[in-house]
Parts: sequence; C-alpha cells; structure tokens
Amino acid sequence: MKTLALLVLGALGALGQPNLQGVYQSIPDKAVLAGGLRNSGSPGGIQLLPTAPHAAQSKDPWKMCQPVGPFRMMAAAGTKIELAPVSTMIVMLFEDLSHGMMRTIYLKRGHPQKLEATWLGDSVGHWEGETLVVDTAGFNGETWFSDTGAEHSDALHLVERIRPVLKGEYLEYKMTAEDPRALAKPATYTRYYKKLDTEVTDDVCRDEE
Amino acid sequence: MATSVRMAGAMGLLLALGAVSGFAQHTNWTGYYTLASARDLAGTGLKQDSPGEKLNDLIVPHLQPWAKARMEATDGVADDTGGVCLPDGIFRYPSMAGRFIWLEERDRIIIAFQEVNTAGVRRIYLNASHPKDPVPSWNGHSIGRWEGDTLAVDTVGFNDKSWLFGGMEPHTEEAHLIERMRLAGNGGFLEINITVEDRQALTSAYSYNRYYKRQPAGAEMPESVCNEDPAPWKHWRNEALKKQLDRSHIVK
Repeated sequence: MKTLALLVLGALGALGQPNLQGVYQSIPDKAVLAGGLRNSGSPGGIQLLPTAPHAAQSKDPWKMCQPVGPFRMMAAAGTKIELAPVSTMIVMLFEDLSHGMMRTIYLKRGHPQKLEATWLGDSVGHWEGETLVVDTAGFNGETWFSDTGAEHSDALHLVERIRPVLKGEYLEYKMTAEDPRALAKPATYTRYYKKLDTEVTDDVCRDEE
Repeated sequence: MATSVRMAGAMGLLLALGAVSGFAQHTNWTGYYTLASARDLAGTGLKQDSPGEKLNDLIVPHLQPWAKARMEATDGVADDTGGVCLPDGIFRYPSMAGRFIWLEERDRIIIAFQEVNTAGVRRIYLNASHPKDPVPSWNGHSIGRWEGDTLAVDTVGFNDKSWLFGGMEPHTEEAHLIERMRLAGNGGFLEINITVEDRQALTSAYSYNRYYKRQPAGAEMPESVCNEDPAPWKHWRNEALKKQLDRSHIVK
C-alpha cells in the first residue's frame, strides 16, 4: 500500500509540473508579446575581463558546422528546438543539429564529481514551481560567447530558467552565464520561444553548397 | 472515506494514463542502446546477419547495373557523406555503429543517434499515415504501429544523397524501409528486422537482422561531435564540394 501511495503521489507530482513537450522557435527581437514581454540582452552585450581571450573569426565554430554551445545557440535568431520530456530526463533537440546538437537535461541526478569537458557541458535540472531550472557545467572551451570571437573558459557555468507563459503559447527562457576567468560580471539574456504546431525537419549544415 | 475516494480517483487516473500512453500494451523501451557485439550476444542464441562490412556482400548482388556502376565510380572519403560530416542516412549508420537513445512518447518514438551530426534524429509517428508527398529527407518519414510485442515501422520519403552502406551502394528517392522491432534475449536486446526495397536501384529487396544491447537503466549516451577536429573535415569537405562542382560543370 505504501508503494502504491508513493506511485500515486509521484504521478500527481509530475502532473503538477507543466508539460514542456513540443516544438518552439525564438521570436524576433522586435516582437512584443502581451504584457510587454520581449527579448532582452544578447551575447554581444557581455562584459569581458580585460584578460579574456579573443579568437580569430576564421576559427568560428559556426562556420565549420561545429556545435556553438548553448549560450550562443539559444540566443541566435530563429533557433528552433524540440523538447521531449521522457522518463527522468528532458531531451532538447535542435532543428539545426550541426550547431545545436542535442542536449540531455537529467532530472534525477546532480553533476558528476569529475566532469568530463564536452562541447555542450553536463546539464541537470529541477523544478521550482512551474519553472524548469537547468544548471550546466563541464564545458571544453571550444565554443564562444558571441559571434565576434569572445572565448569562454572551461569554468563557464550556465543557469537557464524555462517556464511557459501566456497560456503555454510561449516559453520564457532566461539565461545566466558565469565565468570568473572571462566575464567581468554574469551575462544574462531573455528570449521568448513560440510554441509551434509543426515538426522539426532535417537541417544539414551547408547541405546545398 | 475521503482518502479512499481520492486514492480510487488517483488509481483511475493512473490506469487511464497507462491506457492512453500505450503502457498497458507493452513495456516502455526508453533507454540507451548500442550495437551488440558478438561477445554481447554470446550464449543468447542471437546473431547479427552479415555483421560489419559483410553487409556490403549482402547488398551488392541486389544492385541494378547502373547502381553498381555508380558504386564503383565513387571516390573514397570525398564521396562519403559520413566522412565529411554530412548525414549517413538511416540505412547505414544504425547498422554499422548504431548507438542511440530511444525515447517513447504517447504518439511518437524518437530515436536520437549519438553521432547526431551524421545520423540525425528519427521520429516514428504511431498510428499515423505518411503524407501524400513527403519532402525527401535523409531519414525519411516513419510511421509505426504495435502488433502485439512488435513495433512495425514503415519509412518512405528519402532523398537520394546517402548510401545504403559503407560500400557506397546508391539508392533513389523510391527507397522503402520496412522494419519490425521487438525486444529479444529476455529483454536485453532490441531486435530490428530490416527490409530495404527500391525498385529503381535494386533488382529485389534484401533483409537482415540487427541487435542492439539495451544498456542498464540510468546509462547515459556520451556526446559525440563528428568534425571535432576541423582541419581534416575542411580538407575532405572541400574535396567533396569540388567533385560536386566538377560534376555540375560536366552537366552544363
């Protein structure tokens, strides 16, 4: 009976959180939603330490069909994502797979003690009411903060707060980046993603060239 | 009494959820799977058909003459879509190096491959129909239905940019993939029986089995980036693009 009760409580608890499943696309910066909601901040507006390194434009991961990292990707114009909450994780699939790849947000564990450095980092999430809070660390330093070559270090730490707004028609996406070796202060931006009644399609980097 | 009523209500809700999600019909297969090696399959009575590069030997006798001629005219890495970090297509990657997570939703199954640059993501729509004119794509349009403990999957709508396997056997947009998927080996493996038809490129259909080991619960699929080292990628991508350009000049 105790097990059954736990199962029931677990199911009800899960029902209390919003179901984020769906396809979403970031809205244009000039768009203003009901209540004055709009995109704000951008990777180009970050404040770097004087000692922060800059890479040559010729090494832009975007131009080489490499992953550009969550900080840059989630702010990019028109980014289309699909969220698939399954079991103990939420999988984020990007239509632009080459640049965005696929992120897995684990809901039932913390970061491993020894983090292996990767392009997309290790993401863990938890719910605070209707907001999914995603904590990501363990980056390899190959990706940039911005289109202009501002590099981050392997100490980059991201916190993303994602919640449905306007009756679930949009996602509010708030990003905060900390990097004590590259940023003068935490960098933040907000994007709104519109829920679409569509599927994501193949989008191959330089497919038609 | 109130507690009993709430409990009964919650139980009814759970049962309804189970029925809607298909949970009542079969065990949820969500998890991380890797292509089973001979060692993995030892003692199970299961065996990969034409494993590794031997799959080429199965396919080539089925090629139409033009398709065989085109295969023989290909040029190593420069023509190898996977080698230049373009998609491999689902005929090739899953049978050679398949590592993927299987994600079950109510009306759909998502198969996300580890080499997501080259293998991409498959979506199998349950109890649905193909669109009348699917846009040709690398992974096609897949529909599925449960037949007891077996998931029958039908895929059409491919582009003709990928190969049937590593020998660079071509296929056309007429390619048709029929798969029957079930758990085997006491639930430790996913068995996929694969049949490929293409009346333009093949003289007859060919079939084979693949087994994927179901990794323990909680196992996580590591990240994999195809063009992690941009230097060789740029070289081979440019070679491939140069060949495409040369061909376009010939056509003109």
